[in-house]
Amino acid sequence: MDTGNAPSAQSDGLDPSLFEQAEFDPNAGERSGYSNYSYWRSTFRMFLKRKSALFFLIILVAILAFTFIQPLLPGQKSPTTIYQDPATSMQYRNVEPGHEFWFGTNSIGQDLWARIWSGTRTSLLLGLTVGIAEMLIGITFGALWGYVRGLDRPMTEIYNVLDNIPTTILLMLLAYIMRPSFKTMVIAMCSVGWLGLARFVRNQIVIIRDREYNLASRCIGTPTRRIILKNLLPYLVSVIMLQTALSIPGTIGWEVFLTYIGLGLPVNIPSLGNLVNEGRLIMMSPDLRYQLIFPTTVLSVITISFYVLGNAFSDASDPRNHV
Amino acid sequence: MNDRGDRQKLLEVKDLRVNFKVKGGAFTAVRGVSFDIYKGETFGLVGESGSGKTTIGRAIVRINSVSGGEILFKGRRISGRITRELDREVVQNIQMIFQDPMASLNERAKVDYIVSEGLYNIGKAKDEGARRAAVQKALLDVGLLPEFASRFPHEFSGGQRQRIGIARSLIMEPELVVADEPISALDVSIRAQVLNLLAELQRSMGLTYLFIAHDLSVVRFITDRIAVINKGELVELAETEELFARPLHPYTRALLSAIPVPDPIVQRQKRVVPYDPAVHDYSVQAPSWREVAPGHSVLASDEELARYRDALERGDTLAIV
Amino acid sequence: MQENGTILSVKDLVIKFRLRGRVLTAIRGASLELREGETLAIVGESGSGKSVFTKSFIGMLDQNGWVDSGSILFDGNDLAQYRKEEQWLGVRGKRISMVFQDPMTALNPLRPVGRQIQEVIELHQGLDGRQAQRAAVELLERVGITEPAMRSRQYPHEFSGGMRQRVVIAIAMACKPRILICDEPTTALDVTIQAQILGLIKALRSDFGFTTIYITHDLGVVADVADRVAVMYAGTIVERGTAEEVFYDPRHPYTWALLSSLPQLGVKGKPLYSISGTPPNLFNTITADAFAPRNPYALKVDFVRQPPEFRVTETHYASTWLLDPRAPAMEPPAAIRSMRDKYVARSAS
Repeated sequence: MDTGNAPSAQSDGLDPSLFEQAEFDPNAGERSGYSNYSYWRSTFRMFLKRKSALFFLIILVAILAFTFIQPLLPGQKSPTTIYQDPATSMQYRNVEPGHEFWFGTNSIGQDLWARIWSGTRTSLLLGLTVGIAEMLIGITFGALWGYVRGLDRPMTEIYNVLDNIPTTILLMLLAYIMRPSFKTMVIAMCSVGWLGLARFVRNQIVIIRDREYNLASRCIGTPTRRIILKNLLPYLVSVIMLQTALSIPGTIGWEVFLTYIGLGLPVNIPSLGNLVNEGRLIMMSPDLRYQLIFPTTVLSVITISFYVLGNAFSDASDPRNHV
Repeated sequence: MNDRGDRQKLLEVKDLRVNFKVKGGAFTAVRGVSFDIYKGETFGLVGESGSGKTTIGRAIVRINSVSGGEILFKGRRISGRITRELDREVVQNIQMIFQDPMASLNERAKVDYIVSEGLYNIGKAKDEGARRAAVQKALLDVGLLPEFASRFPHEFSGGQRQRIGIARSLIMEPELVVADEPISALDVSIRAQVLNLLAELQRSMGLTYLFIAHDLSVVRFITDRIAVINKGELVELAETEELFARPLHPYTRALLSAIPVPDPIVQRQKRVVPYDPAVHDYSVQAPSWREVAPGHSVLASDEELARYRDALERGDTLAIV
Repeated sequence: MQENGTILSVKDLVIKFRLRGRVLTAIRGASLELREGETLAIVGESGSGKSVFTKSFIGMLDQNGWVDSGSILFDGNDLAQYRKEEQWLGVRGKRISMVFQDPMTALNPLRPVGRQIQEVIELHQGLDGRQAQRAAVELLERVGITEPAMRSRQYPHEFSGGMRQRVVIAIAMACKPRILICDEPTTALDVTIQAQILGLIKALRSDFGFTTIYITHDLGVVADVADRVAVMYAGTIVERGTAEEVFYDPRHPYTWALLSSLPQLGVKGKPLYSISGTPPNLFNTITADAFAPRNPYALKVDFVRQPPEFRVTETHYASTWLLDPRAPAMEPPAAIRSMRDKYVARSAS
């Protein structure tokens, strides 16, 4: 054996006893390959790294919290009471924002500040309810549609028929038929909105249903229900949450639209739609414009927040960005 | 040489045909394949991509549907429409090991669930303590540490993941295991681990393997008999050493000559023999499956059969590797 | 090019990556010399860093990776110092070219194949459209595609896997590079196609005279193509030498393990020699020998300090403490010994 240039024993400071054979533990090798990657932890990190996402998250949470806290603060006014000047018994109509009424009053004397927060609460609640209901219906339909091969054809036909019905008209029809109320709005929006999510879920499932791990589950006899719940849906959580997040401002937008054409929530329930509508009616007079600006600003902030958050989450939850 | 007369036929594939619907008609992936697998043996099915070998494996475990012919397990037909109980029996007795360890495990589930998923399906997971014990045993059997049960697949290497997949199949206590290229996607040094594991499990659990592969040199080590498949048809079937010593069909010979040997001097002297289908003249007579010698069958026409028999009698040197 | 024919000289290269907020060292001090006209095979498994190592020669490290220290000397320039794209444009594709593993993703599915080759020729050789087109068709013929003029107008999906890889090779060859790096070019292909592609590369090599680096984990392919071999493990080169030296007289326990765990060398009925465990996690700083936990021949010093390179012959080096004169004499596994004996017998006859 020719080992020409080995270092001399004195120069490298290694004890000669180190040159004995070491004990061999076969399991030591098993442990060394551990990778500590966690999908959700990485998603969270990527999400928080985006300063804009953090910013809007804080704003949205602040708004949401405030809509619940506001009625509990001292000195708040009721959103529906018509306020009268005790001295003149005249209604405080169209009072500009000032010390007494922070956001002013509307044309019949209601406190705009209270109305805005109450309205925001209602609209957000509507958006969330519709979002969740759509999610449940859409996922169920979409998962079955995508996974059960026999259902693909008939469900696609149903989808094509339903998709061709103009959303606007359907919404208007449903809102018109049923009495105006919160429940009506929820039902109407859900009836229209689940279709998009179902299609989306179906497409995603078609992509992953023939992956090897699903074949393996079939091979060991896992029933369809459990394959959908444990194999397929967990992969779709992030994209479904994204879709739902984006649908909330959409729902609020529809609500505003329906209110415009008089088919929205009843007038006695303040909502952003009602407020924007009321503001619209008097927007031509410059000193009353505040009645439009305040609700519109709140609506815009909410919409922008959801979009930014939704997109940031979507980027963060893509494993390819986890670097 | 074992006397095959008294060995039980575990699986019989009879004239299997599988068609796939593609744009513009049907694509025949498997055209009339027949072979038997005996209890306790390791049967190798070797072919290149598109040969239909994976399709056959999947048809056996009922992932793909069969367009013609039948598959019998212990004498009962398991292809096509079968009763629920028979389906359940198939699930319990025939299992599959998949090729790509990166794709064959559910990333969002813990190893604990992945390994015991089958137990839930056959109703053996009622007792939580027994289930956990079964998972532990399965992990130990494949050389993994029981503490791995609470982790997720992404925390493991390819070789470890493949072993998790094997544990998943074995916990069902099957009789027949279809191994679909179980080591192709693994690193070279890990392949030996997994091959050893498969051999050890066969001994300790009395398993029968259908080993699907594209690498004849790997298959030589682990199989008792080998069938070579090309474009949906079997071209040759023989006991392993017989196939390597006396390969007859030109496709088999081409396949053997193309495999690079990890020995520089030998490899540089080797000449690659390409396979040209035109070397067969099937204009007069279509080939059929013939027995050339006991246990050694080839797809050949009469003329080729005569030639092969002569070559065997003369004792020509046919070995390539 | 230096006097002894070295055209690429890599010294103590360290490459790091930033991943999920932490820094991992993918290459921990690798040195290599490439002689003109030879074929060098880099053998390693996943996590060995073989791809990363060669990607640094053409500036194709991922965004989150960088060369931390060391040098890559090519044609009088230190490529390790390059920081800007412009510097790489004169090297990549022109003087050092790369063929990747998956031909389907290496080709643009939306453009005809001939145009993709043409692009490269126009970019680097400054030929105009008509001339470049002719050159492209010629190249297609050179790589063994029949009816090259007609096929140059076809799209990648109209070619089979092996044909696509030929196209990729044609693109890599378009500018007659000095060095061709092939990163597992045949792993995704069938065995018979693989044999054809390997034959093609050998033929082109003798025609064009370029130097080849082959990255692979398949020791059969190494035996087929390589003049010299470098074995990588966990970001370092653990053994390097001529093909004969590495196959018939390996010195590093990892090389022993790789060679003896081949099923081709196994005896039916007896377990194959296998390495337990998995390669180390590169997030953890490795101070000692990375292979030690899985090495049944490990000495205590393997857990203390990383071994330096020991010289076996002028061309053969291995980084293992077993070659230190203070180490006990160890016999390699049976399969290695029998390979060695066969070789000695063959040389003697």
